[in-house]
Amino acid sequence: MSEEVNIVEKKAIQSDTMMVIGLPDVGLVGLIATSYLISELKLEELAFMDSDLLPPVVVLHKGLPHAPLRMYGNDKLIAVVSELAIPAQSLHTVMRKIVDWGHAKKVNRIVAIGGIPLENRQTINEPEVFIAASNQKLLNTVSKNGLKALDEGYMVGPPALSMRYSVNKNIPAIAILAQSFYNYPDPQASALALKELSKISNVNVDVSKLLEKGEEIRLKARDMMKRTQEEMKRMKRSQEYDFPLYV
Amino acid sequence: MSETRKKQSTETLEEYLQQIKELTDKIIGYASSEDPSWNIETCCLQALSNIFITPREVIVTADLPNIEPETIKVEVLDEKVIEITAKMKEKVRFADLGICHRQGEFSFLRCQGRLHVAVVTERMKFSCEKGILEVRLPRKKIQTLK
Repeated sequence: MSEEVNIVEKKAIQSDTMMVIGLPDVGLVGLIATSYLISELKLEELAFMDSDLLPPVVVLHKGLPHAPLRMYGNDKLIAVVSELAIPAQSLHTVMRKIVDWGHAKKVNRIVAIGGIPLENRQTINEPEVFIAASNQKLLNTVSKNGLKALDEGYMVGPPALSMRYSVNKNIPAIAILAQSFYNYPDPQASALALKELSKISNVNVDVSKLLEKGEEIRLKARDMMKRTQEEMKRMKRSQEYDFPLYV
Repeated sequence: MSETRKKQSTETLEEYLQQIKELTDKIIGYASSEDPSWNIETCCLQALSNIFITPREVIVTADLPNIEPETIKVEVLDEKVIEITAKMKEKVRFADLGICHRQGEFSFLRCQGRLHVAVVTERMKFSCEKGILEVRLPRKKIQTLK
């Protein structure tokens, strides 16, 4: 099997943009948030990922085939989404390729949106949102904007790898992590993550429609959540509940 | 033990570990149902659910968006299988979910789960907040630390 991963560009990619990554993960927080950004900002499809590491699937929209993992954008923003749960064993390669591609396109920052699983999420009206940043200066900047830093703990999955590979490439990176259900789609957590995104960037969307459509999204996202849960088990997502050992 | 033998033993152990990992992945694959998340005959969409077993009780949660809370029905079928059904506020068609090549409509959300431990069905309590159902069932044998 060829393990090559290609990103096929359909349009010219602007440099000095911010890249937002929202892949299927805990509560589908990042995926729902990023898909909403794409729809609200009417972003155009710029590129897609082609790889033997992804399942043999195409997604049909209005009768035409699309790769499940795609990049959308405008002159300020690139949004990465996947309509397919990324197989756990391919996640490293896929994330490394996305970050490398972002580096080649000279993105000024990578922001990964995700969820922090909370066992008693149903008892919480307004989930909290936490931030992790790739360097102290960036952490200070986002903290000044009133965002809470995730001081200690483990990050697992796409936001963790996005952070790891961005640091390797010296790209400023931020993870926006909203408390959410582990394996139920959580549009409210996505909306809160988008509100925090607006505090650290010029990406500002009205999330009221997302909240209004919450029940509809939860109904539609059941299958995606189920498939994502299977991959989360394989990537040992539960490590996020662990206490870190830092003496 | 010589260095060569040590190396061989490590390699054999690594091979075993790899085989166990592959087997685990296979088991996870078998355990994950490939059935669709809908049933046209019963007009049901499958709801997502979780089962947590604590020393004192079993907590079952289910994601039930778009339902009429007063229609929620929770049944423990044979002591260890729980079934949850609820009627949706409005019927949902395949087309509403973006599927045009199938026909059918759904009126209920439903899920079933195995409890794994014996519970006292008569003392079952449930509540539903924002479409998240929480069922609490006390265990027959409460586990205590000595």
